[in-house]
Amino acid sequence: MSGTHRGLNRFLLALTGLMLLAAGALAVAAGTLPGVAAHWAATGRDAWGRTRDLLAAAPLPDGTASWWTVAAVGVLLLGAALMFGWLASQGGGRTNVVGETPDAGQGTTTVETGLVSRLVAEALAGNRLVLAASVTAWRVRGAARKQPAVRISIQARQGACPRELADTVEQLVAGLDRLLGHPFPVLVRITAGTRTRLARPDRAR
Amino acid sequence: MSGKLHISRTVRRELHSSRAAASAATATAAAGLLLWLALETALSAAGQQPLIVRPLDAGRWLAGTADSAAPSLLTAAGAGLGLAGLLFLVLAVAPGRRPRHALGSARAAIVADHEVIAAAISRAARRQAGVAPGQVSTTVGTRTVNVTVHPTSGIPVDADAVKAAVDVELGTYALPRRMRSSIRVSTKGVVGQ
Repeated sequence: MSGTHRGLNRFLLALTGLMLLAAGALAVAAGTLPGVAAHWAATGRDAWGRTRDLLAAAPLPDGTASWWTVAAVGVLLLGAALMFGWLASQGGGRTNVVGETPDAGQGTTTVETGLVSRLVAEALAGNRLVLAASVTAWRVRGAARKQPAVRISIQARQGACPRELADTVEQLVAGLDRLLGHPFPVLVRITAGTRTRLARPDRAR
Repeated sequence: MSGKLHISRTVRRELHSSRAAASAATATAAAGLLLWLALETALSAAGQQPLIVRPLDAGRWLAGTADSAAPSLLTAAGAGLGLAGLLFLVLAVAPGRRPRHALGSARAAIVADHEVIAAAISRAARRQAGVAPGQVSTTVGTRTVNVTVHPTSGIPVDADAVKAAVDVELGTYALPRRMRSSIRVSTKGVVGQ
């Protein structure tokens, strides 16, 4: 869970797909329909001629290259920068602060993930259904208040009833609500991991 | 309250892929291509040798390729490009469900792996059937739970009772999606453990 902009991801992937599909369709058409191939060749010759005219129309002071070449490099670099922006938009939103309360004139009280992590670890320490627990927090995009969400990840022992685990964690979260003074968004992940496979299964009682 | 706690949104995000890996790969490839084109353009403008090909030569080749290339080659290349495009479209449009289920809860978004649910169902079935741990296997899908019981030789297993136990166990999870359970009792028994 993170702040990844999923709509943007899917939109840009769809755009890439449509461009590739259009190029593919054009190539197939040129390969199978003679008219399309001739048209492509004619358009290509036209475009080639116009490009040469354009390059010659705006020469740089030293006469070797064209201003259009400079513009093309600029556009290509801009495109690359946009792609790096897309790359950088993956993930993110992690935070160490679970709660923040400004105290008029006396500073701000912050609660860090470490505290919640310790509380969760202590509460689940004696639970034989839980093999490991970890806590992270991330900022929810579009949240009205500046309230991060907390993710509690639990590795279940093999055969552990997920409902039983869920109830345990719900009680735990109710305790955290009382402690922090207000409810906050919580994600509980009940997972199976390597420890689930290695540890002894839960005994039937 | 559930609005402020973002439960349904969190569950939705946790159940579906973010397409981050595909996006990162696409962005990297596109950025590399654009940077290479920019470098080649700058090199050719400065009168230097190209790394691979001069952009103007590449453009002229592309413009003339419909005339010069063999039609079958052109068709094959187009089909390849089209397939790649379809792959991207599928990535963009397909739901990308992950093997997880949400458990009903009023306070928190609770999401469990299929594997955890399968192990718990196996245990419930095993207790009802009275067999050893290795004799029950369960697979959990988006809408189905399939339980296979290998009975101990000579001791029959009541499939209906096992199904009832599995359904009771499933009912406690309060999954938002109705799950259909099916029990298969293997005809081959195993030697008792």
